[in-house]
Amino acid sequence: MMKHEISALMDGELFEDEADALYDQIKRSPGAHSDWAIYHMIGDVLRQPESIHRDISARVHERLLNEATVLAPRSHALKQKARVFALSAAASLLAVSVVAWMSLQISPETAPQLAMQQSNIRPVNLQIQPKSSDYLMAHQEFSPSNDINGGASYIRTVTYSPEEKSQ
Amino acid sequence: MKAWVGVCGLLLTVNVCATESQSKLDWLKTVAFAGHQTDYSGVFVYQYGSHVETSRIAHVVEADGEYEKLESLDGPKREIIRHHGQVWCYSQHKMVQVESQQGKGQFPLMLPDQLSALSANYQVRELGQDRVAGYNTQVILFQPRDNLRYTHKIWVDTETGLLLKSAVLNDKQQVVEQYAFTELKVGGAVDHAWISSSATKNLPGIGQERLPLNKAAMSVNSGWVVDAMPSGFKKTMELLRPMHGKHAPVTQLVFSDGLSAISVFVELADKDEDDNEGLSSRGAVNLYHKVVDNHLYNVVGEVPPTTVMQVLDSIRYNGK
Repeated sequence: MMKHEISALMDGELFEDEADALYDQIKRSPGAHSDWAIYHMIGDVLRQPESIHRDISARVHERLLNEATVLAPRSHALKQKARVFALSAAASLLAVSVVAWMSLQISPETAPQLAMQQSNIRPVNLQIQPKSSDYLMAHQEFSPSNDINGGASYIRTVTYSPEEKSQ
Repeated sequence: MKAWVGVCGLLLTVNVCATESQSKLDWLKTVAFAGHQTDYSGVFVYQYGSHVETSRIAHVVEADGEYEKLESLDGPKREIIRHHGQVWCYSQHKMVQVESQQGKGQFPLMLPDQLSALSANYQVRELGQDRVAGYNTQVILFQPRDNLRYTHKIWVDTETGLLLKSAVLNDKQQVVEQYAFTELKVGGAVDHAWISSSATKNLPGIGQERLPLNKAAMSVNSGWVVDAMPSGFKKTMELLRPMHGKHAPVTQLVFSDGLSAISVFVELADKDEDDNEGLSSRGAVNLYHKVVDNHLYNVVGEVPPTTVMQVLDSIRYNGK
């Protein structure tokens, strides 16, 4: 029933009040949501057969994971959701045991953001640049974390940034 | 194996003899001791933000000292070999010596004054037991007494004293970075082959006990001072050191509060440099750089961003 209505809506065959009621229904129903998306994709394919013929949502999703964090403050509940989302995405890439270990909450570099809110500086990139790696290495050799964490703490000096990963 | 028994002995002594407050700090001594004296190999996962990667580590104690190899298992091939205060790094298809500190790397640096500094800056708590990579561990929390440093949480194998998991948390108790072993072998079965392999023997710089004097780092009294170093950070090192891709030696000051360190680097600014100021991070490490009066300052440390910024903004030349 709803599918017909969505189709009719897309074809511009509904009256305004009917359309408004349907928008409300679509917002509330996840199933209708995906119907809406699929119908649009079908429409797009019919109109431009040479440019749309594959599902790129997985790749877009992957790129989103590597995207810089948005600095705008958010409500706590929303953040929580985003974390769960990031974790579930990671689960598809990693062994389950690893994910179990990551039971502690992930904070996507909250600290630098806070510092930046306090001052006016705006670094171009939050990640330490490769050209600064030598400072990290020189620092690491004298850090007490060598004695406590052992050689594993050297991982900080050679870990690769997400930008390098895509190359 | 002998070392392993030694560690167990030490642990036993720790548990039986030490006083309450002292025993918590003794965990650190145990960890430092075990980490240097035990043969082990394993795989660990390192995570910060959305970044997760897996690495293999092997640590072997030979007659001429410790050998340690860290090898990336994800992404581009990277490798770090450490021996006797010397560090080699394989990355971008070549092996280069990146560090050479004569006479360093011998033995734990968990000296009594460092431990007392530590308890002045952190509240140490035992959080009970937990299992990591199939081993029973004791969880210990180091809660800072101010917000200028991070909270550290470690999981120590109750049998060998090795650190099996470590997390750094910010003042909101969110994890800034963590790593944990997913697999660990202790003693006997550790693969020694890579030490005698030609790859290691042909490392640039190995066998040379001393680098030429003009290439080695030298202790100096540089005249550079930091006015707003957070309390509890003591200067442990002041060097004039060569650095990769730098024409002139760089002054490095190292300050430690027993658990974290802050390094201050001072050099003449490159005229072509257009990146004059910025804050960046990698896991628990924050780096702030700024060009001030023709000098480039870099402050690096396992401390919150505000701390490296505070330190940099109070660097001053107090020499002649």
